[in-house]
Amino acid sequence: MGAPLLSVRGVSKSFGEVHALQEVSLEFTRGDVVGLVGSNGAGKTTLLRLLCGLYRPTVGEVVHHATDGSEHAVDSVRQNLGVVPESTGLYHRLTAWENIRYHSRLSGVSDSHAWNRTVRLARALDIEDALHRSTRGFSKGMRQKTALLRALAHDPDLLLLDEPTAGLDVTSARKVRGLVRMLQQEGRTVIYSTHHLAEAEQVCDRIIVIHNGTVRADGSPSSLMLDTGTDSLEEAYVALTLDASREVSDAETYGWFQRRWITLLSRFSTGERPEIEEVSEDE
Amino acid sequence: MSEPKRWPGRVALVVAKKELLDLVRDWRTLVALVLVPLILLPLLFIALPLFLEGEIEELDSIQLNVVVQLSEEDDFPEALDTLLQGANISLLFEQLEPGQGNLSEPGGDEERLRLAVRDGSTHAILRLEETATNSTESWNYAILHDSTSELSREARGRLLDSIGEWEDEIMEVNLAEVGLTIDEATNPIRWDGDFTAADVSTAAESAGFVLSMLIPLLIAVWSASAAMQPSIDLTAGERERGTMESLLCTAATRMELLFGKWLAVAIVGAGAVLLQISIFLAAFSFLLPAGFFGIPELGAVSILSLVLAVILFATSVVAIELALAVRARSVKEAGTTLAPLLMAFIAPALFAQFVNLEGIELWWFAAPVFNVCLAMREALLGINDPVHIAIWASTSVMYAVLAVAWASKQFNREDLVESIN
Repeated sequence: MGAPLLSVRGVSKSFGEVHALQEVSLEFTRGDVVGLVGSNGAGKTTLLRLLCGLYRPTVGEVVHHATDGSEHAVDSVRQNLGVVPESTGLYHRLTAWENIRYHSRLSGVSDSHAWNRTVRLARALDIEDALHRSTRGFSKGMRQKTALLRALAHDPDLLLLDEPTAGLDVTSARKVRGLVRMLQQEGRTVIYSTHHLAEAEQVCDRIIVIHNGTVRADGSPSSLMLDTGTDSLEEAYVALTLDASREVSDAETYGWFQRRWITLLSRFSTGERPEIEEVSEDE
Repeated sequence: MSEPKRWPGRVALVVAKKELLDLVRDWRTLVALVLVPLILLPLLFIALPLFLEGEIEELDSIQLNVVVQLSEEDDFPEALDTLLQGANISLLFEQLEPGQGNLSEPGGDEERLRLAVRDGSTHAILRLEETATNSTESWNYAILHDSTSELSREARGRLLDSIGEWEDEIMEVNLAEVGLTIDEATNPIRWDGDFTAADVSTAAESAGFVLSMLIPLLIAVWSASAAMQPSIDLTAGERERGTMESLLCTAATRMELLFGKWLAVAIVGAGAVLLQISIFLAAFSFLLPAGFFGIPELGAVSILSLVLAVILFATSVVAIELALAVRARSVKEAGTTLAPLLMAFIAPALFAQFVNLEGIELWWFAAPVFNVCLAMREALLGINDPVHIAIWASTSVMYAVLAVAWASKQFNREDLVESIN
């Protein structure tokens, strides 16, 4: 177990009547690659925004642990934080390098340092040639990779990635996963939200299943399967997120995973609670 | 890691620099702030008067056809004939139908003239009838015309001018018989000498007066309008494009980001206002006779007052516009919110131009927008009243602080990361 980096202590977050997160307590240690898994609206993005200080908890606190053991509000340690939000957020009138340089300067990093690091990472992501091009015409994959470079150029210890492979082609997604593994080897902490269970299983040491604003499970992929008595992460996920009070609209949400989940969850509209055994591979 | 030296305001400057780069690459900003004033103002003040002058010359060169209707027993006056020929009018004589109620009643000529005006054969009818009075010559007249036709209106104008001159000639003859000149009869009380020479104000003071009626209004209105587009682009635009979230995740504090954005908008706005005022003054002086428009001589206090008033006003305006725009989640929403705000600046600025500065009540110098407009007027007129300066400066600082505090509050909103996308 590594040294603690971030602590989420009894955090709830509400937006008016909507309770996005309820009583969430988590510990993140240095060097972890953690997957946040959940459906749309489960609370993954809200949790990521709390972790980077964009949101303030309604109840509870999020603290950053310095190497000397002292605790700080996350607002004060953004210098060590790299974030790739769901919308990549690139300025389309600037080139890729100008986008990266802007954020590096805001973090107080010299242009030469940011440039050297950017070029090295751009080679790994295969977009070195695009650094001086305007981002206006970039594909989704190029934008995602540029956003990753921007988040990494100032050498952060902690990286928060909100669905970094959503909408990417197979090759681009592989490159991004490869980069995450490289960061892990460098000892950085990566918190990674995704819909793709297979990807989470492949990349993350630890998976946190978030459902309806609550943490349903937190552990390694194998421990989740063991705890639920299932033999795949997908089945473990279904077992962990079954909820008799689920709304009909969830059926659409689960369409993101695999066709069989849609079939299963659509039965909730009838008010019946299906058994886990009803899930079949051939459906 | 090699870090550049940290000093207060560094991050704000980084933000301002990037925003300026982003703005100058935006064609909408360039069109709105540079191209429009560069084209529109010279068009209004130089091209339009030149065009109108050309149109007048063109109209003058057109020969117009007028039918003159006279009674059988009357002869057409030679003096009027000469004047009308000089006015490029071709005459066709007809007999005036007897039994008219008065000469202005078109009678049977109504339909005829309307058709003739349309086909261009006749542009007006001049009816003349000599009357018996004690004057050497006395006539009744009327001009029938079609007010919806430009040439018919022009014919009427030329006829009226010629008849006016003819009348003066008759008056001159009549007055000569009693030993008077026309000037003696119509102007028994006269201004002696050059009217303008009696003005004791210097050319510089006159220039200050003229500018005091223009500059405060233009600065108030143009500051508000020039800051609008960049304010929206840098706030609601960022939210709409989804760039705000990643920006807020950086190490920069929200106050630093706000200050950087404020600085960028202020620089763009100030540049645009300076450009607009320069073009306006150049175009305005083009319309006036040479030497008419001088340069005001302003003392140090006046210059300082002027600069301070503009800075404080710009601080408030930009902060208010940023605060309002940042609440909007899209550019369209921000535009809808900010457009009516312009009236909140235009109305008091316009009003302030007509407030009498002599014996002015002190509260005017505390009222928002009024105070800076009046301050600029007084500065341009060289009035340096310490009480007035103290009131407008302190209230303007207060308004600027309140505006910045409000903008800061808006910029700390949690929902700033939300985007319509």
